[in-house]
Amino acid sequence: MKDILQSICDKAKQRGASFADARVYESEYTSIMRQDGRADKLSQGTSRGLGIRVLKDHAWGFACVSDFDRDRAFEALDAAISMAEASAIRSEEAVVAEIEGVRDEVHAKVQIDPRSVGVEKKMTRLESYEQAAMKVADDKLSNSVINYSDSVRRETVCNTMGTLITEETIRTFLSTVITVKDGKLLQKSRARVGEPIGFELLEKTSSEEFTVKAAKTALSLLSASPPPAGKFPVVFHPSITGLLTHEAFGHNAEADHVLAGTSIIAGKLGEQIASELVTIIDDSTIPHKWGSYKYDSEGTPGKRRILVEHGVLKAYMHSLETAAKLGVSPNGSARAQDYSSRPIIRMSNTFIAPGESTFEELIHGIDKGIYLKGGEYGYVMCERGQFTCHAGEAFMIRNGEIAEHLRDVSVAGLTLETLMNIDAVANDFEMKMPGFCGKNGQSMYVDNGGPHVRVRELVVGGRA
Amino acid sequence: MDVDLLKKLATIACEAAISGGAEFADVGAWTMRNLAVDIRANAVESCDASRVGSISVRAIYRGGTGWSSTDKMDEESAVEAGKKAASLAKLAEPDPDFISLVAPAESYPEVPGLADPAIETMDIRSIIKYAIENIDSALAVSSEAIVEGGFSAHYDASALVNSLGVSLGKKSSHIGGYTMVVIRRGDDVGSFYDFDSARVLEDFAPDGIGARAAQQALKFLGARKIETQRMPIILGPLAASSVFSSIVRNVDAENVQRGRSFMAGKVGEKIASEIITITDDPLIPRGLASRPWDGEGAPSKPLIVVEDGILKTYLYSSYTAGKAKVATTGHGTRSGNAVPSNIVPKLGNMTSEEIIRSTPRGLYINMGGISPDGTTGDVSSTVDFGFAIENGELAYPVASTMIGGNFLDMLKNIDAISSDYREEPGTIMPTVRIQDVLVAGGG
Repeated sequence: MKDILQSICDKAKQRGASFADARVYESEYTSIMRQDGRADKLSQGTSRGLGIRVLKDHAWGFACVSDFDRDRAFEALDAAISMAEASAIRSEEAVVAEIEGVRDEVHAKVQIDPRSVGVEKKMTRLESYEQAAMKVADDKLSNSVINYSDSVRRETVCNTMGTLITEETIRTFLSTVITVKDGKLLQKSRARVGEPIGFELLEKTSSEEFTVKAAKTALSLLSASPPPAGKFPVVFHPSITGLLTHEAFGHNAEADHVLAGTSIIAGKLGEQIASELVTIIDDSTIPHKWGSYKYDSEGTPGKRRILVEHGVLKAYMHSLETAAKLGVSPNGSARAQDYSSRPIIRMSNTFIAPGESTFEELIHGIDKGIYLKGGEYGYVMCERGQFTCHAGEAFMIRNGEIAEHLRDVSVAGLTLETLMNIDAVANDFEMKMPGFCGKNGQSMYVDNGGPHVRVRELVVGGRA
Repeated sequence: MDVDLLKKLATIACEAAISGGAEFADVGAWTMRNLAVDIRANAVESCDASRVGSISVRAIYRGGTGWSSTDKMDEESAVEAGKKAASLAKLAEPDPDFISLVAPAESYPEVPGLADPAIETMDIRSIIKYAIENIDSALAVSSEAIVEGGFSAHYDASALVNSLGVSLGKKSSHIGGYTMVVIRRGDDVGSFYDFDSARVLEDFAPDGIGARAAQQALKFLGARKIETQRMPIILGPLAASSVFSSIVRNVDAENVQRGRSFMAGKVGEKIASEIITITDDPLIPRGLASRPWDGEGAPSKPLIVVEDGILKTYLYSSYTAGKAKVATTGHGTRSGNAVPSNIVPKLGNMTSEEIIRSTPRGLYINMGGISPDGTTGDVSSTVDFGFAIENGELAYPVASTMIGGNFLDMLKNIDAISSDYREEPGTIMPTVRIQDVLVAGGG
């Protein structure tokens, strides 16, 4: 296969490409869904395909095929070249950074390869997670869902600068939604764990920190109140800090948005864009983190990228193209979902660095505010810097103390205003939000987190 | 790959699943060709060509389901996928609620205009032309416009075969495009989006997508924060469709039967204002979501979901229908959840302009809208594109504004649906007013 990729790159050069890369992506997965006392949906599958990118006359073309042989691979090259030639009608003068080609083969290092574990054993473990939740929720349980998946992915990247890399990654993921009821009132809570490791994830994940936690939260929400609406001082749990960092800031620090003129921090390198308590890092090199990798989908090594230091914007996340256009070194941030997608700039593990305050100091001094917990999802209108973060639960803060429990709530704000309004950062830290970030129709592995932080004022989309 | 070849592969996979011990099996096989042009920073970012395909097998043994998929489109891989699905089905725990897959119908409806050969043979240069014309039309409105977006043409062939004798094949086409225009004046940013979408080339109207987005983007400059208070909200066509689709998406029998839906126990009850009537109509010629059969091979037919505010039915698949001992409504998918088709709301008497003019003070939402939590029905949504209404007119764009409440309460407070609407093939999108909504502002 590698010889086909090499010949594709050679041929692309002969046909006038200034740059080309060919990526083969192969994957296999197993998933199990356990619901209402039964693991009655089991699934396995494989996928293999080729994506070719060609840069010709400063214009990009891309083509992909599933199920390829040598002939179909070269047909895809023809298609990619004709796509680049078409793009040249009105291209954005694309270029790529010159890099030293890298040759490497990375094998996944896991303790227990999930392929060596029978489906029955996986099902048995899920049953114990479910039984523990059922015991806690008892007659209030309305629905329990537990999803398990493991995957083995191999991405081979070959380019015209001499790069030839194969990276294998094994990932294991667990998620649950527990729904409880009291009369007609329904409430639910979610939990998830995921790491680039094997079946050992299930051996080290207790029911207590997974399904039982979700069941207990769901039960407690039955007696929680709807949140108030309006403007409040807000304290974020690390899971919401992570969402804020990823959504509100992170997407704006992707250099493709910066170059397109759709980032609110374009042209602000070296400027104070956040409170000086804020340092933001995107780091794809942390062992066993969901968003980690050795090489990105362009074959550039992943890095620890300090994006904001004491409130000052220091860097963006780059692909080969954006690095060339902005005159910096690539920092390994371009990833593709699979063979059918082009590499685009993605976050990896994104977080705010811990500060010096204690959690008590954060809530102390707030007369009436909200403590948001249980980060679920968020999104951003990048170009306007308007973000939304959704929390599964919250608490009122009254007279400097945690008070009554509140049901799920969203908060919205303007990125730069909110980053400037962070007036305390705690000395704790948690990054346990393994998930999938969507961008341009591609879904990618990311994690995010940080310490507890306090924002002076934010809009809460309450219902009371 | 043509439909007959796909049917052959699907039949081979289905037979392999049954000979592997499955009691029931169904197989989907498809191939597609997609051409796409991505726009970034007023230029073509890339042109992309995809040719991909897949075979997926669902095998059932005592109600337990095994799934297997491959993107290798040959007979050997089809057999392997069938056998793998059967062996997983036998490992899965039995589900006594499963009754049967869909039996073949005597006839299936004809829905014209779902596949246009002109889209199948389309060239990338015709698609680029749409992209460039719309970049230019946005720039003609404002030289400050920053245009992002994409145009694409999609064509696929698919087969659906099951062990009860269903053997169906069809072709399908889609062409569409959108632009997002950003206007930046210092830290003040306005942005908006427009699109067009069609199943046949003749229905595709790409002219002015860029210009309209740019005109709207200019209006979003100078956004202000508003005070927190209860007020009427008016959802424009691109936002009101979220109200209708949220109703229909949340009446999936699967979520109701599983005890995780706020619509549980609501059939026959008034769930919305009596001016709400919604039909799910899969048979509209050239409709974006039209289909002659559902994802399991049950024939499609129009279904009144809400009539005069009363919920008439849930949406069923073969599994949920079997469990409830009713007939499937033809909304099944092989992966389990029900999927609506074209959602058609009944129109009202006032024009959208009259609805706005008769609202002295309120909030207008241009795009986005309302998306309730499926379990609780609670709404806590950001107004990403909205205007304050003052004296019956759209006064200024708003920032940091949210709406909150319970979806069922909001539905009961709908007091106007417009007589005029935006139309995309098979879909009509009127304007809707909801009284007394809690609006949270940062002002």
